[in-house]
Amino acid sequence: MDASTTPPAIVKFDNVVKKFGDFVAVEKADFEIGQGEFMAIMGSSGCGKTTTLRMLAGLEDPTSGDIYLDGERVNGRATWDRDTPMVWQSLALFPFLTVQENVEFSLKMRGVGKAERAKRARKWLEKMQITEFADRGINQLSGGQRQRVALARALVTEPKILLLDEPLSALDAHLKVRMQAVLSNLQKDLGITFVYVTHSMSEAFAMADRVVIMSRGRIEQIGTPEEIYRAPYNRFVAEFLGSANIFDGVVGAATPGGHMVAYDGGEVDLPASELLDAKTGDKVTFMVGAENVDLAPTDAGQDGLAATVVGEEFLGATATVFLETDDGQELKVQKSHAELKAVKCHAGARLIAHWAPSACHVLPGEKG
Amino acid sequence: MMKRPSLFSLVLAMPLLVWQLAFFLFPLLFLIAISFWTVKMFQMQPDLSFANWQRILTRGVFWDAYLRTMILATSAAVLTSAIAFPASYAISFKLSERAKRWMIFVLIIPFFTSYLVRVYSWQVFLTDAGIINAALGHIGLGPYPMLNNTFGTLVGMVTLCLPLVILLQTFSLNFVNRDLIEAAHNLRCGRLRTVASVVVPSAKVGLVIAALFAFILSFGDFVSPLYLGGGNPPTLSIMITDITKSGQQWPRAAVVAIMMIATLMTVAFAAITYAYKERGK
Repeated sequence: MDASTTPPAIVKFDNVVKKFGDFVAVEKADFEIGQGEFMAIMGSSGCGKTTTLRMLAGLEDPTSGDIYLDGERVNGRATWDRDTPMVWQSLALFPFLTVQENVEFSLKMRGVGKAERAKRARKWLEKMQITEFADRGINQLSGGQRQRVALARALVTEPKILLLDEPLSALDAHLKVRMQAVLSNLQKDLGITFVYVTHSMSEAFAMADRVVIMSRGRIEQIGTPEEIYRAPYNRFVAEFLGSANIFDGVVGAATPGGHMVAYDGGEVDLPASELLDAKTGDKVTFMVGAENVDLAPTDAGQDGLAATVVGEEFLGATATVFLETDDGQELKVQKSHAELKAVKCHAGARLIAHWAPSACHVLPGEKG
Repeated sequence: MMKRPSLFSLVLAMPLLVWQLAFFLFPLLFLIAISFWTVKMFQMQPDLSFANWQRILTRGVFWDAYLRTMILATSAAVLTSAIAFPASYAISFKLSERAKRWMIFVLIIPFFTSYLVRVYSWQVFLTDAGIINAALGHIGLGPYPMLNNTFGTLVGMVTLCLPLVILLQTFSLNFVNRDLIEAAHNLRCGRLRTVASVVVPSAKVGLVIAALFAFILSFGDFVSPLYLGGGNPPTLSIMITDITKSGQQWPRAAVVAIMMIATLMTVAFAAITYAYKERGK
């Protein structure tokens, strides 16, 4: 989704800061979420992602800055006066109510009559395929069924936005993938905005239209999963992705298309478009994706970085090989098993790691 | 399928088992036995007579006392729970961890003093010339009779139960999942309504057991009905002492005692069943 087709914003964070005493939980959050967008907020624990979501829900008040919901400033408005239902990590279903009573809860609070309540709850139970459990207690349900109850309970009032705080973290891997599909389809189906907080990159990238990456209260990057994956903004994001090799270099002499950049492993000719106005003498940091690194035997006459294999991790059809250069820099290489066999890759083997200049991406956030 | 207890758990359970047999089950059986004995010339004689049961259970005086005791104990349980709840709620939800520990300590202090002493000191407050009526007199009210009546009895019972009920309620409120409260707010349930529709049902087991304790303590209480309630008309515990004093009628007193134990067992069983009842078919 590029800027020209971005739908009108339903959520706007305008320089929002949240402090708990001296601790800055969120530092200048400044972003918009479009109508009907699936937005993931991702980061490790303590990065401020849940606090951001809770401020949107009205469960925390920002220390400074403004939050707009559907064009209206909602600072200081209690959560019961906002239309921002949330799905909790613990699901927070009421164990003293049946499934149907849980789903009816917010309708009851709004004074919807008994018959109408039952009708609307039934509709959502059907949609979430849990009609047969309507009269059960929460403690009699499995994890996946509870998940569906939590979704039905939050969506029964047909809100414009749904907030989700790591709702899948308690499920096993298999169920997680299935629930991701359920959530993804549900969001497309309803056409409403989902704001989804998670620490899992695979969850965020699998479902979200756009992802906000946070660390230590700061927003590091906002973009589509592809943008973030192809062009991480800074070292933090590149490292967070887990599959990037990061190099510090110095811009050298000009070449026909750009500049030479000198780094620990040698020199590489990078195009001007990548270098973003960097001049001779500037420091730059660039990354090479693990899947873009090739390996060759030491006797093949290939230029590149000589390195020793220190470990291997299997990921189904491919494997990630960890190598260490003579300078002690770690390299990650992702290859198919056949390709690894061809270069006789095994622990302790010496190999040449090399890549095309086009595989290098300069991290714009690290310039200067 | 029942699991067979291991030897280890049996050994661990031994002291309790022996204690219960020696000091609860055996005396209870003995109590049941003597309820069928007869008294001749102020001497108890082993017998198998239903006369005591017939005499007690057919007398209006007994049933009046039974009903009075039930109403007093139920009122004390409800009243104590109602007075305790706002305090327990504030301790559990509004205080810092440090302040919470201090409050729990403070709540234990009343147990340092004998209940009898505390009841006597209430007399100073409640008599017609007491502190409360004197204060009311200054603004031209009263004196209101507060001693030797139901009001006095209830004051004593609430005094007896309040610290324990607050402690039990506080502990059960501490275990209420805070997410549930936020979720209720998030689903448009305001503060006060959340207390009624989420906090109370979540803490149900603890709240019911706290009230049950208040009921049990008040039902068998002898001190408050006597020293603050005046002892007349009697509650069941006062009736027991009256019966034993008049002509060594231990067998008849045993009948009253058995009726009390049976009532407490029924109420406790019903309350615990209700407390642990789960929703859903």
